[in-house]
Amino acid sequence: MSLAIIDAREWQNQFDLETGRKKQDNDPMVQMVCRVLSDTPYPGDVDEQANAWVTRTALDLMDAYHPDLVCLSYVQQFFANRHFDHPEDIREKSNGAAMAEARKFIQASGYTPVIVGTGGLVPLEGEMDLSGLDGLAICSNWSARYCGIHSPSSKDMAVIESLKSLGKIEAMVSKEEWITLFLSEQPDLDIPQDKGLMPDFLVAARQGLAFKTLGTTLRKPINIPENNFQIPVYTPLGTVEDLRDIKNLIRSNLGRHKIALILLEGVGLAHFPDNAFLCKNGVGFFCNEPGDAFYLTLSTGKHQVFAYPAGYRFFDQDAENIRFPFSGYMTSLPQNTLALDFPGKSIAVGNRSMFMHMVFGADIGIECFARNLFNQGCMAVVHDKSKYGPGPKGNMR
Amino acid sequence: MKCNYCERTCDLAIGKSFCGMFQEEKGAVVERYPDKWSTYSASRVESVPFYHAYPGSRSMIIGTAGCNFRCRYCANGFIACQSPDHVQEVMYAFAPEKLVAMAQKLGCHNIIFNVNEPAVSLPSLLRVKKYAQKADIPMGCLTNGYTTEEATRMMAEIFSFVHVGLKGFSNEFYQKYVGIESIDPILRNINTFADLCHVEIASPVIEDVNYHELHEIAQFIHDINPSIPWHVFRLLPEHNMKGSLYPNIERMSLALDSSRKLLPYIYFHNFVGSDWVNTLCPHCTSAVINRFSLGCSGDRLDEFLAPDNTCPVCRTPIAMLGTKVAWDAKQAEKQNQGGQRL
Repeated sequence: MSLAIIDAREWQNQFDLETGRKKQDNDPMVQMVCRVLSDTPYPGDVDEQANAWVTRTALDLMDAYHPDLVCLSYVQQFFANRHFDHPEDIREKSNGAAMAEARKFIQASGYTPVIVGTGGLVPLEGEMDLSGLDGLAICSNWSARYCGIHSPSSKDMAVIESLKSLGKIEAMVSKEEWITLFLSEQPDLDIPQDKGLMPDFLVAARQGLAFKTLGTTLRKPINIPENNFQIPVYTPLGTVEDLRDIKNLIRSNLGRHKIALILLEGVGLAHFPDNAFLCKNGVGFFCNEPGDAFYLTLSTGKHQVFAYPAGYRFFDQDAENIRFPFSGYMTSLPQNTLALDFPGKSIAVGNRSMFMHMVFGADIGIECFARNLFNQGCMAVVHDKSKYGPGPKGNMR
Repeated sequence: MKCNYCERTCDLAIGKSFCGMFQEEKGAVVERYPDKWSTYSASRVESVPFYHAYPGSRSMIIGTAGCNFRCRYCANGFIACQSPDHVQEVMYAFAPEKLVAMAQKLGCHNIIFNVNEPAVSLPSLLRVKKYAQKADIPMGCLTNGYTTEEATRMMAEIFSFVHVGLKGFSNEFYQKYVGIESIDPILRNINTFADLCHVEIASPVIEDVNYHELHEIAQFIHDINPSIPWHVFRLLPEHNMKGSLYPNIERMSLALDSSRKLLPYIYFHNFVGSDWVNTLCPHCTSAVINRFSLGCSGDRLDEFLAPDNTCPVCRTPIAMLGTKVAWDAKQAEKQNQGGQRL
């Protein structure tokens, strides 16, 4: 049973991660995590210190837990550049600062880095308002590029076709075509969600455009992700061709190295070291945007576009008594993740809320607890206490 | 000519209203942006939060732009406190019947206005009401309560459930943090709403600012009707109050304990995992509705233990508008009528 510890500044409470019911655990490892949480209050998603919080929290946790694998995400620059109209030099500075923070962590920890960028952002040029369709258009998971169309009328199809002829829409595929595309690359593709709630059609905007529909956030983005069919990677461990290959690269080196997998959201190749390389991110017209599918693909080594599909009628499943209430869309612990069955120790720390603690399967996860940029504090999840014990690797401060 | 929707009663002869949503045209007060909406989404009624109206139901959340207040801590300041002229590109255009049709498409039981102040869009909302009523969709809203008597009655006609923000209990607080002179119209309107529709009240608490007024607020609500649910919100330092203290949860909980004697339906939330989100029986204090709070519009129903709106232990009635509504009630209704899946 996994334990969630919520820290809302000067107040902590413990819950069963799956049921959300209160639970008290005085295990020394839990006490250690509670101390780390209270020592490092989260400054807020767009605060300039938000990435330093990741480094500080991770180092503090490592000091007590001594993990073999560390998974980090630095996201401040993505949130700030997505939502606020900073001049280009400020945007570039924040992207550079994110990489500097990653370097700072590597220097302080001595871990071997695998740094992955989700790719850069581009200014939002315009939006396509599909709210007036006879059917239902849904954007989900903060997606700018993808929109799901449910039960379109012939008039709706004509609207989409006309946007396509104007070059505003790059692709429109049926649900079956979308699934077949990914099956062609991955025959053991997992589609855990109810196919009936998936959109009948998926449409993809051209770079720089976004959809405006149900599910679009109230805060209008200023910048949105580029169509990052390739994303930058830096590591001395070797090269990979595909985002899915990074899991194996890390797992095959963990016996010889202590490794830090570091995600920099909204950061492209320009901010990576000279010997960084590009790897493939997606299939055909579909590239992963920053978000849960990107993280899950990286962590499981398999395409995860259907774990929480774009355009899904997610609200149909939002009834009471849900499982994993702290975990956003996720209603079960993802399997085959990077750290889940790794026998060594692992941690995950990041300022991406809601899914950090799930997507890597690390023994301990600490993440901010923010919703739509509102800072509610932090959450830690302790998945596996069995690895903690006395001795040189288990000493607490 | 004066605008008569809110107590600012702006003189439209000298320009648009304070909220930016009304102007004079041929001797009448007209909306500048009719039928324009800043959002539409399906969410849980508890997320608004309404705790004593149609628990478990699916609500279509809507809003417009503009506000007659300028709260220094406004969480929706990026849309509510901007000039409506500057946010029109983010708006959706839905004629009233289309908005109601959207609620049906989304399988929603009710429509709730909660992004900004509904008084700034009352004519549009009145039109929506006409179609919502035909479709048997009740409407609710969050309001700051600073409306004229006439507009308050109009709101009570549109909305069968209303959540009024009582942000402090002194003119000084409202002058300094909200930008209006007097709290009196708000207190008057809470009484009116309590006579005419289902009311819940919310008070955001700011450490060292209105913390000391909480007991007075509780007493005021008690004197109207002790069954009115009262939501105390832990206010996050936002908008023009970034840098302020986060209210201390332990201190707040202690302070609110004494108010529970006055108001049995008292809640303290807007923080993850709050212990104060369950409904307790006013008589025997058994939990009759369990909820879960993720803070910031993340509350949800967990267990409804009073199916006939009475305590399962001592049979005391629990104050409630309607009763528990299944999340997929509207889809089931449609399927029973032989229609297609929504």
